[in-house]
Amino acid sequence: MGVEMDIKEAGVELTEAENELYDRQIRLWGLESQKRLRTAKILIAGLCGLGAEITKNIILSGVNSVKLLDDKSVTEADFCSQFLAARESLNTNRAEASLVRARALNPMVDISADREPLKEKTAEFFGQFDVVVVNGETNEELLRIDSICRELGVKFIATDVWGTFGFYFASLQKHSYVEDVIKHKVVSNPDKKKKYETVSIPTQREVDYPGYSAWLDFDITAPSYLRKLKRNGPGVLLLSVLQKFRTTHQRDPSYKTRAADLELLRGIRDELLPNSDLTDEALGVIFAQISPAVAVVGGVVAQEVIKVVTKMEAPHRNLFVFDPETCAGYFETIEAK
Amino acid sequence: MAAAIDGVFPSTLQELVKKAKVLVVGAGGIGCEVLKNLVLSGFSDIEIIDLDTIDLSNLNRQFLFHREHVGKSKARVARESALSFNPDAKITAYHDSVTSTDYGVNFFKKFDLVLSALDNRAARNHVNRMCLNADVPLIESGTAGYNGQVELIKRGLTQCYECTPKDKQRSFPGCTIRNTPSEPIHCIVWAKHLFNQLFGESLEDEDISPDAADPDAKEKDEAGGDAEPKADGQEKEKGEESKEEDKEATANGNVVRINTRQWAKDCKYDAGKLFNKFFNEDITYLLRMSNLWKTRKAPVPVQWDTLLPDGSSGDQKEVAKQHHKIWSIEECGHVFANALKELSANFLKLEGDDTLSWDKDDQPAMDFVAACANVRSHIFNIERKSRFEIKSMAGNIIPAIATTNAITAGISVMRAFKVLEGKLEQCKAVYARLRPNARNHFLVPDASLPGPNPNCHVCASDPAITLKIDTKRIRIRELRDEVLVKTLNMLNPDVTVESNGTILISSEEGETECNEGKLLSELNIVDGVILKCDDFFQNYELSIIISHFDAERDQTLFEVVADASQLKPKEEEQKKEAVPEEKEDAEQKTAKKRAANGEGDAKDDGPSTSKRSRPTEVDEEDDDDCLVIEEDEDEADVVAVATDKLSVQSPPKAGTKRKPSEVIEDEEDITEILDSSDDEPAAPTKCKRSRLDESLSNPVELVGSQTEQMSLASRILQQGSRLWNGLNAARGFHILMRPATPASGTMQNTQLMAATSGIAQGSGLLSPSSSLLQQVAGFKVKGRLKRRCKDCYIVVRQERGYVICPTHPRHKQMSMKKRDYKSWILTHATQSKERGF
Repeated sequence: MGVEMDIKEAGVELTEAENELYDRQIRLWGLESQKRLRTAKILIAGLCGLGAEITKNIILSGVNSVKLLDDKSVTEADFCSQFLAARESLNTNRAEASLVRARALNPMVDISADREPLKEKTAEFFGQFDVVVVNGETNEELLRIDSICRELGVKFIATDVWGTFGFYFASLQKHSYVEDVIKHKVVSNPDKKKKYETVSIPTQREVDYPGYSAWLDFDITAPSYLRKLKRNGPGVLLLSVLQKFRTTHQRDPSYKTRAADLELLRGIRDELLPNSDLTDEALGVIFAQISPAVAVVGGVVAQEVIKVVTKMEAPHRNLFVFDPETCAGYFETIEAK
Repeated sequence: MAAAIDGVFPSTLQELVKKAKVLVVGAGGIGCEVLKNLVLSGFSDIEIIDLDTIDLSNLNRQFLFHREHVGKSKARVARESALSFNPDAKITAYHDSVTSTDYGVNFFKKFDLVLSALDNRAARNHVNRMCLNADVPLIESGTAGYNGQVELIKRGLTQCYECTPKDKQRSFPGCTIRNTPSEPIHCIVWAKHLFNQLFGESLEDEDISPDAADPDAKEKDEAGGDAEPKADGQEKEKGEESKEEDKEATANGNVVRINTRQWAKDCKYDAGKLFNKFFNEDITYLLRMSNLWKTRKAPVPVQWDTLLPDGSSGDQKEVAKQHHKIWSIEECGHVFANALKELSANFLKLEGDDTLSWDKDDQPAMDFVAACANVRSHIFNIERKSRFEIKSMAGNIIPAIATTNAITAGISVMRAFKVLEGKLEQCKAVYARLRPNARNHFLVPDASLPGPNPNCHVCASDPAITLKIDTKRIRIRELRDEVLVKTLNMLNPDVTVESNGTILISSEEGETECNEGKLLSELNIVDGVILKCDDFFQNYELSIIISHFDAERDQTLFEVVADASQLKPKEEEQKKEAVPEEKEDAEQKTAKKRAANGEGDAKDDGPSTSKRSRPTEVDEEDDDDCLVIEEDEDEADVVAVATDKLSVQSPPKAGTKRKPSEVIEDEEDITEILDSSDDEPAAPTKCKRSRLDESLSNPVELVGSQTEQMSLASRILQQGSRLWNGLNAARGFHILMRPATPASGTMQNTQLMAATSGIAQGSGLLSPSSSLLQQVAGFKVKGRLKRRCKDCYIVVRQERGYVICPTHPRHKQMSMKKRDYKSWILTHATQSKERGF
């Protein structure tokens, strides 16, 4: 962390208070990353449990501003993981109900709420942000936002959690980042005895991320993918089943109609891919949003947002799946057709 | 409160969560997250314990705390915040140390499950023992930077926290610190010692003046591994010379040494005088030990008056606030003067024998160390560091972020569900990493749930360890405080001599006070004596077999060896090494290897199980993920040599010579491998290479069926992951390496290991210090992974791909892509003052 580097970044020096508060993370990702974070503007749409978790992590990291967007109200199910909304806020707007606790997390971040429906938001709105994170929502709506964001050059992440299962899809377009590559250097010394030193060399890379449509076009039943599906477990299949449920029924499986919805889910599963590894048991834990799983997915998504903003390290490309059964977290690379 | 809403969970899990009683140990980064997850999931009976208070630098991740809570009890504030998420939960908070005797086995027995979120090993060891005793499942977690880990510990089913050796704290030989620093860390340690000499609790082994009795450089080489390699004969000569020369000076040196503190006081802490003493006179004195500088770059003394002709003025105070800037040497002078002024004023205010204690968050103390370390670095031509970086190293700070903690705590509570459901065998350890492995996993569950280590000194049925100790120099008090309490983590041990039942150390205060000052040898505690140690509170009994050795000057005076068989075989291995060309009985060696590298468990022995231990992740597609790395030619050459070595080194019909007991020398091979790599962090020397080249032209094929070979390979790999995962973080993969040179004596080796293995700890996961050879010896890394003949096969272990070929050793290959997946998180709290290096 040389002096030159500090000057290079146009941003102003961090204040003493910031240095102190962010000390432990500056020691991990460096001053420059922290300065980049300080300029970032993030939109979190959908203040479900997952939205709250991502919001928390992003705010703690010290970004410039976070906009919370949600037109829904706090429900009983939100108390399974939405810790930003207080108990008393039942039936009030979720975004607004989350404001007080969100602000308490880090007074240095500008946090605001917006209760208008996501559907009515246009390019003008999304253009204000560096990264847009959307929780929940139908494939149709995600596709619409993705195409707007791609036009604007705004990075877009779609994510969701059902019960203990979760995913995200990153549509980052052309993303360039710096990655430390470990190389080995020969160091000679007077004794002519060779020494090898590992040096990490920051390397600039650029990767192209396909849009959300790539996932919609993806054929999970393709023979070429089946082997992978077997190896990595049924996560991607489960995602397809749940998204299909949402598209067909225009809602998520509900714990109130547990038995009936399980029946529907099993139907979709067998129709999509008969004799798969996706067990009935795995379908039994997809109701509401369960806090620990939300913490994992929310942590991963927030880390991706931080990677994108700081342009450090490669964001995972591009479909992440968390398998609650084994606690494995992995990504599949979905290419555009 | 998911469990409170019908239909969210399957009904069985809902009931289990509702009635479970859980303990959370630690309310820090992971603890906050775990507590949140628990209350939101509907756990309603939770107890949480933490002895710490909230600090400003916690707030970037410990989200249950806010600015107004700074200084308050973590456990209590965490409870308040968590209750606001779910007012129906019952949370009991203890602002206390979990090692306190208030929390005995009966306390732990109350719980269905313990989740630990600790930041230091002593507490982890303790909680581990308590949970083993109480037979309560323990979910252990830890993070460091982007890396996280969760694992289940259950008596009889899994490894316990102490089943695998953990690396020790890094320590440096005194003469490196005092005479010949070569790295910034040496100067930082010296600066901390200087602080203690002037203002702190001065310890005997924290001397800062030149060490007139510098032993011969050979010893230094072994102990520190930092000095430049030299020919032996020359060395000894030099050593004698130096001693001779030093004799006259010693008197002078000693006088000054003893009175540093008083002398500084008499000088009224005059910055110029002190500066000149430490950075001019002492250095000039060092220069007179001319032989030290024959191969090293000689230090250049700095003079206060030439550095700052106008003296230090008070208006330079701003310099000290530039934490990220690397101060010039003049600026260091100013900071030194200012810090000295403040510290001496604080020191003189103290009453009686009180002293200051060094704390990384104490501004003048930190400034002082940063300035002194940099001046000394300048003198010895070592790279200077910013105050920010020095604080990391001096304070042993582990970076921490919210996201890793959230992920780790999430997995921890996911595992808690499984434990409640009784699906313990599904709870494989999970590792969280920044970068994905070859299969695109970055939250990686272990492939298996390793069972308890039968030789574990904690969870084995009749635990015993061998203690290598200098009985002529260690006193009973040190045996208790340093060995039993600090190293073996007992709380209040009773010790009796097994043969006659004499009570050596009693947990009752004052009962054995008369023994305390006596040397072990005075009480007839000599080689071969067995001591029975009993910690009543931990319900922990341990037999200690004393093995005496005469410690060399810079050796630690004692060392714990988990398995007695590690002690002897080294010399034998040495003899074998001396005749590398002798035809070997490869099959015998293989058999022995298997025993040595197996789980130490009878059921795992023999070819009948080879199927089971066959690599589970054979996947030919993985080579797509390999980086193609073109090393420069010389390097590749070295690697190739190392590859062939793998098949050559073997005992000369040694089967009959070796005693049967030595066959089960669990970690012996690996220990030695480590040693040799430490001896030779660089490429093999010329003479060595010629020897290897010879062997190259004379390749010895390994005998044995393919399955046997496979099982051997996978065993080595498996064992590696289990035994040395602690080291892997910074050192890369090294299990497959063979000794490059005959190891030169047990004690030095193990000492060496202790010294170097600490590197992983000391510098944390931030700055890997492994050399190329350490990472890749035995396997070729050039090019893509490729099967070159029908016998080649690919395995993925330790997150690297390997080509293993039972018939052609030169086909062995390893992918460069390397991820540290299987490493224990060994974070150490930075709050405690007694923890240093």
